[in-house]
Amino acid sequence: MDAAVPCLPGAESVMGAPVLFGVRHLSPAMAYSVRQALDAYQPQLVLVEGPSDLNDQMHWLCHPRTQFPAAMMAYPKTPPVRTILYPLTVYSPELQAILWAHEHRVECRFMDLPSGVMLALEEGSEEEEEPEENTEWVYRRLEEITGEDHDAFWERNFEQLEDWRACREAANAFGTELRGTAQDGRQRTARTLVREAYMKKVIAQAVDNGVPPGKIFCVCGAFHVPGLEENEPMTAEEEAALPRVDCAATLMPYSYYRLSSRSGYGAGNQAPAYFELLWEELHREGAAGLPIRYLTCLAAAHREAGNLVSSAEVIEAARLAKTLCAMRGSRYPCLADLQDAAVTTMGHGNRSELSVARAETEIGKRVGFLPEGVSRTSVQEDFYRQLQELRLEKYRGMERQQLDLDLRERLNVKNQQTALLDLRRSFFLHRLRVLGIHFASLLPSRQEGANWGEYWDLRWTPEVEIEVVESSLLGDTIEGAAAFALKERGEGSTTISQAAAIFQDAFLCGMPAAASHALAVLQGLSVDTAALTEVAETAARLSLTVRYGDLRRFDAAPVIPLLQQLYLRACLTLEDACQCDAKAAPAVTEAMNQINLLQLSHDCLDEPRWLELLGRISDRDDLNTRCSGFAMAILLERGKADEELLAREVSRRLSPGVPADLGAGWFEGLAAKNRYALITRLSLWRHLDDYLSTLDDAAFRRALVFLRRAFADFSPGEKNDIAENLGEIWGVASEKPAEELMGELTQEEQEVLGDLEDFDFDDI
Amino acid sequence: MSEKNGQSLPAEELYQRELEALMAAEQDAIPTGWRMSPRSVLTYLTGGVTVKGIEITPKYMGNRRLVEIAIATLVTDRALLLIGEPGTAKSWLSEHLAAAVNGDSTKVVQGTAGTTEEQIRYSWNYAMLIAKGPCPEARVKSPGYRAMESGSIARVEEISRCASEVQDALISILSEKRLSVPELGLEVPAAKGFSVIATANTRDKGVNDMSAALKRRFNIVVLPTPADVATEMEIVRTRVNQLSAGLDLNAKLPDEGTVEKVVTIFRELRGGATLDGKQKLKSTSGVLSTAEAISLLANSMALAGSFGNGVISEEDLAAGLQGAVVKDEEKDKVSWKEYLENVMKKRGSGWMPLYRACRELNP
Repeated sequence: MDAAVPCLPGAESVMGAPVLFGVRHLSPAMAYSVRQALDAYQPQLVLVEGPSDLNDQMHWLCHPRTQFPAAMMAYPKTPPVRTILYPLTVYSPELQAILWAHEHRVECRFMDLPSGVMLALEEGSEEEEEPEENTEWVYRRLEEITGEDHDAFWERNFEQLEDWRACREAANAFGTELRGTAQDGRQRTARTLVREAYMKKVIAQAVDNGVPPGKIFCVCGAFHVPGLEENEPMTAEEEAALPRVDCAATLMPYSYYRLSSRSGYGAGNQAPAYFELLWEELHREGAAGLPIRYLTCLAAAHREAGNLVSSAEVIEAARLAKTLCAMRGSRYPCLADLQDAAVTTMGHGNRSELSVARAETEIGKRVGFLPEGVSRTSVQEDFYRQLQELRLEKYRGMERQQLDLDLRERLNVKNQQTALLDLRRSFFLHRLRVLGIHFASLLPSRQEGANWGEYWDLRWTPEVEIEVVESSLLGDTIEGAAAFALKERGEGSTTISQAAAIFQDAFLCGMPAAASHALAVLQGLSVDTAALTEVAETAARLSLTVRYGDLRRFDAAPVIPLLQQLYLRACLTLEDACQCDAKAAPAVTEAMNQINLLQLSHDCLDEPRWLELLGRISDRDDLNTRCSGFAMAILLERGKADEELLAREVSRRLSPGVPADLGAGWFEGLAAKNRYALITRLSLWRHLDDYLSTLDDAAFRRALVFLRRAFADFSPGEKNDIAENLGEIWGVASEKPAEELMGELTQEEQEVLGDLEDFDFDDI
Repeated sequence: MSEKNGQSLPAEELYQRELEALMAAEQDAIPTGWRMSPRSVLTYLTGGVTVKGIEITPKYMGNRRLVEIAIATLVTDRALLLIGEPGTAKSWLSEHLAAAVNGDSTKVVQGTAGTTEEQIRYSWNYAMLIAKGPCPEARVKSPGYRAMESGSIARVEEISRCASEVQDALISILSEKRLSVPELGLEVPAAKGFSVIATANTRDKGVNDMSAALKRRFNIVVLPTPADVATEMEIVRTRVNQLSAGLDLNAKLPDEGTVEKVVTIFRELRGGATLDGKQKLKSTSGVLSTAEAISLLANSMALAGSFGNGVISEEDLAAGLQGAVVKDEEKDKVSWKEYLENVMKKRGSGWMPLYRACRELNP
C-alpha cells in the first residue's frame, strides 16, 4: 500500500514542491489525518484556506478558553448588510492544522482571498443559471448509483480510512474527479480560478521569502488541489485590479444546531454531535469504537427522554448494525446503518420513537464560547456585558427558556441597581426587539388589570450573533443602535398611529430622548386631519404610558398636553363620525369605547364635555342608530341615565312604524354593554317583543340580521336568562324558549339566514 | 410435498429456477444453515438483475433498506417481527425470506384465536400414546420443533391473533433456544440457523397485545404502504402478472390505464384525500390494501375470461370495485357514491366509462 502512494514526505521535499493536502471541510477523519501528516512532514509554514486578512483571529482560535463550534465572520462596514461565514468545529481539518501549528510553534497563515475581495466578488455576480451538470448533479448521480445519500457515501468511503496517506489520496482523487465531472456556472468557475491564483501567489511569496518549498504545508478543499497544481499564480497587477469593499471581521460562537441545518449561512453537516463522537473515538479506539459509543449515547438519551432501553437492545442494535454494514459493503457501520439498527431494536420499528434521542445524539445542543476580549464589534461587547450585568447569561442556550419579569421595584433590596433588575432587563430586551435581534420574544400578558408582569421567551441562536453584529452599523452600543433605529423609523412615519407605535417602543425601551423625539413627530402629524379611529387608537396608546409610566420610571408629564389635544379632537369629530352606514358603525363604536375608557382613567380630561356629547348622540335621530344605542349604553353604564330615560328611549326607538333596520340596529348598539343590567329589565324585553310583533314578514327578516348579530356574543348563561324573560312575557314554561334558542339550527334555517346575510339594504 | 398443479405452490417451488441460479452463482460467504449468502437473498427479494441467464424478478418492491434490515436480523440469528397494515406484503416477504434462506417456507403456524400451545411446541398422536405410552414415535412435532431440529426458519403468521399463553410459549423457545420434552426426559437444542419470522397486523393492535418480554426477543420492521402511485402500480402489475400465469385466467393482462385507475381509487380512499391533496374525502371502513387491488384485478380478469371477451371491461372493474370498497353497507355506500360524483365524474373523458359503470351499480 505504501509503495503506491506517491507523496512520501522524503520524496516530496527532495522535489521541492509544497505539500497540498486536500480535505473535506468538517470531516473528522480528514482532521485526524491532517494532524498525522503534519507530524510526518514537520513543515515550517502552514497555510490554511481562509481569508488572508483574518490572520489575527488565529490567536483567538488557539486561545485555551475558546470552545468550538465558532465561526469567523466578515461583513462590510457600510450597508447593505451581507456576511460571509466560516464555521469551525473541533473536527475541522483547517482548525486542527491551525492548532497543530500553534502547539508546535510553527508559523500559520490563511491563504485565500481577503474577505473584502470575496464580498466584492460575490456582490458583483448576479444570479446565474447553473449548468445542469453542476456539483449537486454529481452528488445526485452518486446517490442514484449507491442507493444511499451523499453523507452515507462519504462516511463509508472516506471517514473510515484509518491511514492518513490513504485518506489524503482518496480525498484528492475525489476532488479531482469532481472537478473533472461537474460543471459550475461561469461566474462561479471564474471565482474559483481567481481564488486559486491568489492562493498560489501566497505560496509563491512564502517561497520568495526563503521558506523551502517542501516545508510549506497547505490545507485546502480537495476540490482546489488540481487547480493549485496546474494554474499560474496571480501577478501583482492582477491583484491590484481586484474589487474590494471595506470590511471588518469578528469571531462568533456557533452552534451544532445551526451547523446541522444546511439552509442559510454557509455549509453544514447533518450530524455534528455524531461526528464529534467520531473525532473523539479516533483518539481512543479508532473508527471501530464509534458504533458502540453512538448506540450507548443514543440509549442514554432515549432513557433520559423517559423511555426504557435495555442493554440487551443496545447489544442487538450493535450486532445488527455490523451485519447491515457488511451487507452494504463497508468496514464499520455508518450513521445510516446505526440508525436503522437502533430503530429496529430500540425503536420497535418506529422511526419516530427515537426522534428525540436521535436529535440529542446526532445534532446535540452544543454552543460555542469565546473568551472575553475576543476582537468583537463594540455592539457585541455591549451585548455580552449587559447579558452578564443583567444576569441573563444562563439564557444564552439553544433551548427555549422562559423569563418572567416583575417590573416593580423590590423594596427589600437596598441596592437601587438590583432593586430594578427586572425593569432594566425589560429595557434591554425591548431594545433588542426594536433592533430586530431575535434573542427574546414577548409573550402575551397573563395578567388581568395589572401591568407589572412581562413574560419573555429567550433563545440564543447563531443568527442572534449575526443580528447583533449587523446592528453595529446603527451605533456603538445596543442603546445607541436602538435610538438610531427608532429615530430612523420616526422620520419615516407618515401617520399618527405609526408615530404612536414608535413612541410606545421608545417608552418600553426606557429611552426618554427617543420617546420625546417620537412625541414631537407625533405632535407634528396630529395637526393634520386624522380619522377618528386613528386618533382614538393613538390616544389609547399614550394613555397607557401615562398610566403606567411610573412603573417604568418614565416621566409622563410631556405626554399629557398631547393626550388632551387628541381627546378634544376626538370629541369634536365623534358626532360627525356617527353619521355613517352600517359597515362603518362598529369602528365608530369601538372608538367611542376607547375614548370613554380614556376619559375614565384620566381626570385631566374634561368629563362634562364627554357626557354632554354622549347625550346628544343618544338623543339625535339622524345618526346611525347603532351609534346612538351605544352612546345610551355608555351613559347607562356610567350611571348617567336613569330608568325613566331608558324606558322613554326604548319606547321611542322601538315604536311601531320605525323601520326594522333602525330599531334593531339601535338595540344592537344598546346590547353591546352592561348586559346584566339589560337582562334584568323585563320591560325592555316586553318592548322589544311588542316591536317585533308589529313588523311584517319582510321587515322581520331584516330585523333578524341585526338581532342575530347583537346576540351573537352573548354567553349561553346570558341567553338562558333572556329566554327566561321571554318565557315570562309569553306566559310559557321558562325552559321551552331556552330549548328553542339553544337548539342547533336546522339545515333550512341555516340557508335562510345565509341568504339574509347577502341581503342588500341599499335597495330598499 | 406438493404436486405441480396444486392450487398454490410454495415460493421455493414457484421460483426454483431463480433460487438455483443464485446458488450456482454464489460468491460470498454463506452463514451456517443457510443456502445462500445474505447478499444473494437480497438480490432474490429485490430482483432486477439477471443471474446466469435467468432474470430475477423483484419480490418485494419499495423500501430496499427494510429488506436489508430484515435479512441482517436473520443473520444475527435474531427473530424477526414484520408489522404493518393488512396487505402490505408481510406474509409475502416472510415466505420469500424463508424460501431463499432455507429453500423451505412451509414450516408455518397460522396464528388464530384457536391456536394452542401444542402448535408451537409439540403434541401427541393419542392413539399411539395410549398404545405405546410416551415414546419418540408418538410425538407430533410442531413446525417450530422441526425448524429447531433442522436449524431453519419457522414462520408464525398473525402472532397478535394468538392468545397470550401461546405467545408466551414462543418466549422460552426464542430466549433459551431449546425445547424440553419432559415426558421423554429430552432437551432439544436449536441447531444453528434456527430463527423465527413472525407477522402482526396493526389493525389487530390491542386484540392480544404482545408482551414486552416477547417483543424484546424480536427485531421489529414496520412495513409501510407503498410510498407513491408509481411504486404501487409497479407492485400491482407485477403481481397480477404472476398470479394470472398460475391461474390460467384466459384473459388479457390489464392495461396501464386500468391499473392506474384502481391504484388511484384505492390510494385516494385509503388516504382520505385526492392524490393532489386538494380535496378531502370520506375514507371507507375497508383497508383497501395493495393486496386487495391485486386480487380485484385478478378477479376482474377471471370475470372477463370466463364471461366476457377476455379483455377487462369497465363493468367487470366496477363490480370488483363495488365489492372491495363497500364493506359496511350503509356508511361505505355513501362514501363511495360521494367519491363517484365529486371526484371520478370530474376526472374527464378517460374516466367516464368507469364512472358510468359504477354509477349503474349505485343508482
